[in-house]
Amino acid sequence: MKTGKYDAVIVGGGISGLMAAIDLTRKGRRVAVVSKGDPICCLSTGCIDILKGVDSPRDGICDLPENHPYHLVGAGGLDRAAGLFVSVMKEAGLSYVGNVGQNRWILSPGGTRKQTALVPESMAHGNVEENETLVVIIFKGMKDFFPGYVTAKFQNADVYEFDPGNGSTLGIATKFDDPAFQEDFFKWFKSQKISKGKIALPAVLGTKPQVFGELAQKLDRKIFEIPTLPPSIPGLRMFKALKTCLQDAGADLYWGRSVESVEKDGDAIEAVTLAGIGRSTRIEARAFILATGSFVSGGLYARQDGVVKESVFDLPAYVPENRESWFGHNFFETGHGIEKAGIRVNGSFQPESTGIPNLFVCGSILAFSETMKYGCGHGMAIATGVTAAEKCEDHLA
Amino acid sequence: MNTEFEHCIRCTLCVENCPVFRVDKDYPGPKQAGPDAARFRADNEAPVDEWVRKCAQCKRCDVACPYGVNPSELIQEAQVRYSEQHGKGLAATLFSRNYYLGLLGSLFAPVSNAVTGNKGMKKLFRALGISTYMTFPRFHFHTLSRSWQKKGKGKRKVVFFHGCYLDNNSPDLGRSMTGLLADLGIRVKVPKQVCCGVPALANGDLKLAKRFAAKNASILAGYIDRGYDVVYACTSCGNALTQEYPGVLDPPEGKKIAENTYDIHEYILMLMEAGEIKPDFAPVKKRVAYHIPCHLRSMGIGYPAAKLLRMIPGLTLQIHDDNCCGLSGSYGFKTTFEDNATHLGRIAGEAILERNPDLLISDCGACRMQLKHFTALSTMDPTELLRLSLSNKPCPSLTH
Repeated sequence: MKTGKYDAVIVGGGISGLMAAIDLTRKGRRVAVVSKGDPICCLSTGCIDILKGVDSPRDGICDLPENHPYHLVGAGGLDRAAGLFVSVMKEAGLSYVGNVGQNRWILSPGGTRKQTALVPESMAHGNVEENETLVVIIFKGMKDFFPGYVTAKFQNADVYEFDPGNGSTLGIATKFDDPAFQEDFFKWFKSQKISKGKIALPAVLGTKPQVFGELAQKLDRKIFEIPTLPPSIPGLRMFKALKTCLQDAGADLYWGRSVESVEKDGDAIEAVTLAGIGRSTRIEARAFILATGSFVSGGLYARQDGVVKESVFDLPAYVPENRESWFGHNFFETGHGIEKAGIRVNGSFQPESTGIPNLFVCGSILAFSETMKYGCGHGMAIATGVTAAEKCEDHLA
Repeated sequence: MNTEFEHCIRCTLCVENCPVFRVDKDYPGPKQAGPDAARFRADNEAPVDEWVRKCAQCKRCDVACPYGVNPSELIQEAQVRYSEQHGKGLAATLFSRNYYLGLLGSLFAPVSNAVTGNKGMKKLFRALGISTYMTFPRFHFHTLSRSWQKKGKGKRKVVFFHGCYLDNNSPDLGRSMTGLLADLGIRVKVPKQVCCGVPALANGDLKLAKRFAAKNASILAGYIDRGYDVVYACTSCGNALTQEYPGVLDPPEGKKIAENTYDIHEYILMLMEAGEIKPDFAPVKKRVAYHIPCHLRSMGIGYPAAKLLRMIPGLTLQIHDDNCCGLSGSYGFKTTFEDNATHLGRIAGEAILERNPDLLISDCGACRMQLKHFTALSTMDPTELLRLSLSNKPCPSLTH
């Protein structure tokens, strides 16, 4: 099947590709997003980490190594991207707090504090100090959440257990969507006579964005969610908000199929074809944005002979020359050389030395982004997604 | 042995998408039921995993997986094996033969409607393992296969695969669909056909499903060789023809069928893009909720009806593709799964009502039936809305 020509096709349905698509649809462009599956942001905390280890991410990006992609975005670009993200979330009923000029802390399920910049409203009170009184509510039978890790870090912490009749994050969150279940929970909470302290719960307070606000109002206490292991409800809420926003704006989504082949007209990319079991689907566009992520998402792959390739357009990828330097000695250390691998782009987010005039690249596939080392995964995704979309819009105009 | 499950990195994206896992604490989800358990299933050992039957085969896990694992296929294999060893149960046996039930039901339509609509029969149905929260779809004597078989003039020739539901339960809608194609200048023929095979497969009868597939494939391949394209409107039939025929059902002409079979909206779009037809859409001022059937998602062709409907001036489209309606063909008609089906129906219905639409559309007859029950909205097939816009007057609107 042919699909009629789009203005832009985004390959990769993660947070970066979706933000790029939203920016372009809002400028009146006809857009399609192609994704071979659901993105990793569904498994994330839902928080936007822009840059860790600094007070102000907006100032901090200036001090990054000069080849870091944040320099191509700049403080102004970061502000625009974060602004668009927060307003899109708000339209979907999912309020975010925080700003790009000031990092904040949330409580992790390991009891440690995690630094981040923009957080869902449900984690706004997660910046607890060790000497504060904390009440952790856990759910009977819930897997992979151990309150002991959290309480061990606090001088005054109590644990209460509620039986929701289901032990999975998704099952409990689904129950919280139901007002009758919320009422049961509220009655139980009252009966426990918890007099003081902030109330912390694993992040299962509804799959719908409005549930947290309703509960917080009912309980009339400072409550907050602690992110969980996947399935992650806050990540899912964020992804669905982005997707709905895009579909309401009229973009087309092609989900569950990967790009099988690419057609060029001279130097320019003309169409991508999606693999199909029977007929394949050919999608033409005036411009393309590559947002397929790094190794884990399959945007990049390394061959036995030490060559790193880009999966869709076969772009040349940067990789540290000496294979010995790809990995450090300890698995958990950050800054493994291989994290620098990716696509090098010019100031317009076009892949360097390829001569392709209508291809733009964003997200963690960008070379030198080192998202683990700098704690900048979602921040980079949003910032480069929106900036690449702006460059793409310049090209289309 | 199929080893695609080795690609699973246990990320749980499939689990996040599983409707049954959301509402049924006794179902471990597609990751465990599919790739995890596949490592422990040996060909020479009797299957013990009865819970695989809880999977409704919505295939949302396959669409979600970025690593090319298709958990639903692994689960389906396990479901068939379990049924072969332990029997299917009465209700599943009946529903796997849905095609024959439909033949009988439509032939004796007044009698069958009196039986299925009779409140006193509820006890009997429940004793048979058939759930009764909704009444059965009505049967019609004047089926599609008993109608005039040819319509329209033009260069393009299609055969219309109507499947069982349109044939026996919504023949007027089926005739409206062939009418739409004919009005657009396409020659339509309704060929002889049998059930696509999905009900049999979903109820654990692979052999019967293969028999149906072989019969259809040989008929349709004959038409394809004579220059016809195959067009379907029921997305579960479509999923079978384009995904299962070249896959698990594997008739000799499977690949040919998949390559030449089109969703009705996809086909109209293709002719528009080729410049062969130029429909003139009149405004329809409605807020329309569009429930995407799971089996449309699983085909990976995007949402062709949405693309067409967006061309209608004045129409606001609210796409709902995150929820399975819960009925999943015959799944919800079995008392064993009634709780899951009704819970999922409520979830999907509430999500639709939250956005306050004027009406609800879906390509799948079963989805429409279920969501009409849970939303009380009037429902339509997307083609009815297209006809409404193209003719600028109401067409025989069926609210199933």
